[in-house]
Amino acid sequence: MNLLGISINHRTAPVELREALHLSEDEIRKFIQQTKDSAFAEGIIISTCNRTEIYAIPKSDKTSLKDLENLIKNYKSSFEVKDENFQHFISRESIEHLFRVACGIESLLIGDNQIFKQVKDSFLISEEMNFAGVLIRRVMDAATRVGKRAINETTISEGAVTVSYAAVQLVEKIFSNLQKKSALIIGTGETGELAAKHLRDRGIGRLALTNRSFEKAEKLAAELKTAVFPFSNFKEHLHKFDIIVSATSAEGLIITKKDIDEAMKKRNYASMVLMDIAIPRDIDPESKKIDYVFYHDIDSLNIIVEQNLGKRKTEIPKVEKIIQEELDNFFEWYNSLEAAPTIKTLRDYFESVRAEEVEKNINKFSEDDKEKLEIITKRIINKILHHPTIELRKISESDLRAEDTAAKISIIRDLFGLNSKNKENK
Amino acid sequence: MLPTIHTLNILLPFFYIATFAIYFYDFQQGGKKFENSKRLFLFLTLIFHFLYLLLRTIEFNHPPITNVFEIFTVLAFSISFAYFILELVTDIRGTGPFIIIISIIFQVISTLFIQDLTEVKEVLRSNLLGIHVISALIGYSGITISAVYGVLYLILYNEIKLNKFGLIFNRLPSLEILERMSFIAAIIGFVLLTITIIIGIIWLPQAFPNITFADPKLIGTFAVWILYGIGLINKFLGKWRGKKLIILSIIGFCLAILSTMLTNFLGKSFHSFY
Repeated sequence: MNLLGISINHRTAPVELREALHLSEDEIRKFIQQTKDSAFAEGIIISTCNRTEIYAIPKSDKTSLKDLENLIKNYKSSFEVKDENFQHFISRESIEHLFRVACGIESLLIGDNQIFKQVKDSFLISEEMNFAGVLIRRVMDAATRVGKRAINETTISEGAVTVSYAAVQLVEKIFSNLQKKSALIIGTGETGELAAKHLRDRGIGRLALTNRSFEKAEKLAAELKTAVFPFSNFKEHLHKFDIIVSATSAEGLIITKKDIDEAMKKRNYASMVLMDIAIPRDIDPESKKIDYVFYHDIDSLNIIVEQNLGKRKTEIPKVEKIIQEELDNFFEWYNSLEAAPTIKTLRDYFESVRAEEVEKNINKFSEDDKEKLEIITKRIINKILHHPTIELRKISESDLRAEDTAAKISIIRDLFGLNSKNKENK
Repeated sequence: MLPTIHTLNILLPFFYIATFAIYFYDFQQGGKKFENSKRLFLFLTLIFHFLYLLLRTIEFNHPPITNVFEIFTVLAFSISFAYFILELVTDIRGTGPFIIIISIIFQVISTLFIQDLTEVKEVLRSNLLGIHVISALIGYSGITISAVYGVLYLILYNEIKLNKFGLIFNRLPSLEILERMSFIAAIIGFVLLTITIIIGIIWLPQAFPNITFADPKLIGTFAVWILYGIGLINKFLGKWRGKKLIILSIIGFCLAILSTMLTNFLGKSFHSFY
């Protein structure tokens, strides 16, 4: 199978280049249009912040990986891309790599299941642009199956692998229902904003923000529909919150142990979680000595992240086994797309239908007629199959590309359900 | 029927140990492989245990509540049964091994020392006594489960405080859930203990006209009852929470066990069952 693949990813290119080569949805559509008009019949383009991958089946056997490389180089001509920035794949390697990408074991964060959705979305674009033929569809069916099996049969996607998710995981080990809890985010920079969004997504009951620049806090508060406190007096409100996330760029501590002590007294020592994700730290680490105060900083959250990443790594062999199984299944199907085995399977199928019907009705005929029944039904089957057999032979003897031949035979096999018949016979 | 009773008596600890093993394996592995089969194991163990208790009742013509080793086997059953119901209702499946191990301890002691008892003192053949003992056993099961969840709460609390994110952190439910489960079990324990005490006070003078209320078992039970009462009142008033309440529950459990042990093995009390 002449499926070519190139990949620019976190292993082959620095982040600046990956960002530069990232293709937006509109860019992917334009790129597909150009590709279709040039040397490739069908394919799929996956582009995320960490990787840009192109898989395509060439119209001619003379088209090479270099042509595929040149397509992206020309499309993003203002950036210098070196040969070593590319990974190359042909045939089975291409499909295997796509499977590995789909189930997240090629991701920077192993087991990241966002990529699975991104791969599926990329396929939808190819389909909409009429750039996905029979083969790409089959490849994507198999890739989807691999992704789902990896999630269901292994723990490759379990556990938090980012600091912000680790913080949420930790909070959920303390409180059972976030809907009944309140959180204050101190600092509305990128980290604070992300934390606020995570908590809102997890259904936090009440969310409030504070920031040195009140306007910035108000802007985010309007977006998230939350309350906002002036930075000058936020400490007066500490006791009202079960979760406090601090992510400012302040040089020194902004919350002392005394502040927390006072807040805890006002709360009658109801549990309070302090997430200090600022560098340098915002909250006095001594606060952890107070009863029912759960203080965690970047280092402690990183322990969770590292542990979960370690666990995910141990799951990779299980995922690779799934990939090999699905690869074998795919190529078993692909290899069946040859004329000779298809003619045989088709004839076997018709013969089995004929034999079954004859057996069911044989007693309705006299002894003399039974033999005639056999002859007549066989003759009917032969006549029905005569033309399809000739056409199948013509396909195999024509100058069509192997992929086009496979596509035509695939339609016939699907039409008569020959793939499922093969499996039943096994 | 006797051979069946004896066989079940020997097999029951092994059933509990097998159930514990599968619960513990599942806890350690954290997969979903035995999620349902472990529950089936527990269910079958409880069925066999119930059958054993039923056969004993029929064969010896009295419910198995007339000596401490009979009480222990019923206690082993009621603790695991209470956990089984709790697991079904809450669908929190990660705490099984910590409860089932308590049943193993009670059942092993019972299996080793229990005897075929056909002669029962007339004073122990009373309906009021039956209700008294049953409510006491359910109450003690509640106290036991409350203490187990309490211990789990304290372990998880310390692990989170000390940034230890190991097996306990990954498998146990949240601190709030552990606290709530310990609290609910303590309420059940307290209510049943109250019923036990009231029935005991009514029945005691009828059965033993010369009884003194300075009996060590009575003092022990009252102490446990008062301890839980103080804890629950403070919880309802919003004064106490978390660790404080849980430590109280654990102390209550230890006191209850200690009072039972001392009364039955060392002291001279009417609760020694003669």
